[in-house]
Amino acid sequence: MENMNLSKHISGQFNAELDDIRNRVLAMGGLVERQLEQSLDALGALDADLAQRVIDGDRMVNDMEVAIDEECTRIIAKRQPAASDLRLVLAISKTITDLERIGDACAKIAKAALDKRSKNQQPLLVSIENMGRHATRLLHDTLDALARMDAEKALQLHKEDVKIDKEYEGIIRQLMTYMMADPRSIPEVLDVLWAARAVERVGDRCQNICEYIIYYVKGKDVRHVSYEEMEKDLKF
Amino acid sequence: MISIDKSAMSTNQIDLNNLSQEDTALEIRNLDLKYGDKQALFDVSMKIPEKQVTAFIGPSGCGKSTLLRCINRMNDLVEKCHISGEILLNGQNIYDKKVDVAALRRNVGMVFQRPNPFPKSIYENVVYGLRLQGVNNRRDLDDAAERSLRGAAIWDEVKDRLHDNAFGLSGGQQQRLVIARAIAIEPEVLLLDEPTSALDPISTLTIEELITELKSKYTVVIVTHNMQQAARVSDQTAFMYMGELVEYADTNTIFTTPRKRKTEDYITGRYG
Repeated sequence: MENMNLSKHISGQFNAELDDIRNRVLAMGGLVERQLEQSLDALGALDADLAQRVIDGDRMVNDMEVAIDEECTRIIAKRQPAASDLRLVLAISKTITDLERIGDACAKIAKAALDKRSKNQQPLLVSIENMGRHATRLLHDTLDALARMDAEKALQLHKEDVKIDKEYEGIIRQLMTYMMADPRSIPEVLDVLWAARAVERVGDRCQNICEYIIYYVKGKDVRHVSYEEMEKDLKF
Repeated sequence: MISIDKSAMSTNQIDLNNLSQEDTALEIRNLDLKYGDKQALFDVSMKIPEKQVTAFIGPSGCGKSTLLRCINRMNDLVEKCHISGEILLNGQNIYDKKVDVAALRRNVGMVFQRPNPFPKSIYENVVYGLRLQGVNNRRDLDDAAERSLRGAAIWDEVKDRLHDNAFGLSGGQQQRLVIARAIAIEPEVLLLDEPTSALDPISTLTIEELITELKSKYTVVIVTHNMQQAARVSDQTAFMYMGELVEYADTNTIFTTPRKRKTEDYITGRYG
């Protein structure tokens, strides 16, 4: 790809349609980012009202996914996009699936905050919150890279997920110690574990989105590829 | 663990840069063409693989039809047309002085934009080339007519009215009849110059279906204005712009990840 600063289409309407799905996916990303922040706030403060708002808000995320997907289908049917346009539509269609899943994770985290049993586990929830803040930052930066279609940044962010995975392992170890020390706490600890798992998945989803960004910009499918190969392929 | 061979999954992708002699049907080497003072082709070099469909695409006046017509020396008929460079068919330069142009055109058939059947019966249209070659045995002609009409996927529609005038057929049928006429003399290469641009969408699909069948026997080179058509029927696509060959690669690559900016702009319908 010589240069991604593409000029405009001869068909202005087609241009407008592509701009529209791009803008909408960014709006959806913004909404999901807010959902994640608020679910973590709710978890930290055990704020039931806020948690309920997050759970209700997930419906909006779902609706956006469906609407954007419909628009992508329409563009494919009517415009037969090729090359970078095709990659853009495909990347967006996949990105919204991952965003929707992140939305589900937010709802899960919020549910943990609603749970009465969680009250006894507040110290544990704090460590999740820390991991959650990292995940939020990663999501924010990923959406930023998506807005700029910055493949170099996407590759860099792709590597960030390792840190979240490490934190997750730490939390699991900690939770296991609790369970061994006091088997009666297992039901409550499991609730925390599900929430931790939900946060950890956010990192994986961000990684996927980074892969779609690289696919759009460079035309290379970098799923299931080692970093060495990835960097060689992309030649930054 | 099941390992999947990636090369087996992509459809008959071949390396155009390292095409072996046996797999090459046509090789164009440093072809320049001038109509009087105006240069229409600039140093075009490419290898066209055997028994595959190769499409030439590009905006009007980019030289794609000119290039196609060079392959059976149709440009010889144009005044003040000057050609340099070589086109090798089976290793032999078709612009060599020793080459018999009539024999070359028997080997390289051509079909045009508008169906051009002769004002004769369907049967006589198909066997016309054979009669010119001196074949007069009724049985041989009948066999050839049926084989060619079947090959052009029109046999079932015309078998009961072989002696009706060809002008009674629809546009799509006429075009398939012309293809039958072209393959009756069993050429190696079939050149199609926008074969569907005068046809309705259903006839177009029939012809496209036919093109994919034809490649089992012939090397097909097609010029088309319809990019989606090139994407659907061809194995290789060459993008031309202002008389130059900009990019030539397998069709999957051209339509998903073209390397050149100009190709990208043309494929996606942007201002150049």
